[in-house]
Amino acid sequence: MRQNTFYLMAGVTGLVEVGIFWLAVQLRNPFLIMVSFIIGFVFLYVLWRQVSDRKDDERAVYITEKAKSRTLDVFWVIFFALSLGSAVIGFSTPLHIPPPNPALPPDNFRVIVRTVHPDRPFMGYFGLFQLILLFLLILLYLVFRIYYSRKYGDWDSDEE
Amino acid sequence: MKNKIKVYRAMHDLTQEALAAELGVTRQTILAIEKGKYDPSIDLAFRIARFFSVSVEDLFQYEG
Repeated sequence: MRQNTFYLMAGVTGLVEVGIFWLAVQLRNPFLIMVSFIIGFVFLYVLWRQVSDRKDDERAVYITEKAKSRTLDVFWVIFFALSLGSAVIGFSTPLHIPPPNPALPPDNFRVIVRTVHPDRPFMGYFGLFQLILLFLLILLYLVFRIYYSRKYGDWDSDEE
Repeated sequence: MKNKIKVYRAMHDLTQEALAAELGVTRQTILAIEKGKYDPSIDLAFRIARFFSVSVEDLFQYEG
């Protein structure tokens, strides 16, 4: 398989994952996207191993490692700080999930939380919060990847 | 770290692409090493030196 074909397959897999994410939200089934993501990752890893014209020499590997390392360096601090903030939100409310109200539909958790504890934030905020964290992780990696690619001469012009 | 890869490459009448193919790396890596933007691993440094039949010290000069 050629490298460009792999990137095409990766794009298609990404779109399928977005679709499955939407479906998981609709079905309220977190395991659907969790299992799908892992399967998608393994699928792409197997494909990547079959790329015949791969150009990852020691400099490319070095750039990738540096970008990963710096992403982790920055991300864990941000993640730690935001998680502490989340913990404060969690601890500022009673430490139990409120029992279902028999007067309400049993599966409407958001309505139950809003009715029993109107001052408590919607759980949906945590979904947005998690998505922002995920995009931040990807953004940080891309920024560091571009920075180190420039630093180690990925886009230098030929002097020959 | 300074190096004389460009000089030796010219002496052997080799393009960056040809040298890269001989060493199993990309042309961008040869370009980055020549410009001093990337210091090769010891393994690659020895392979380059062996390819040109010179010592590593002849090819690379450490600037401490």
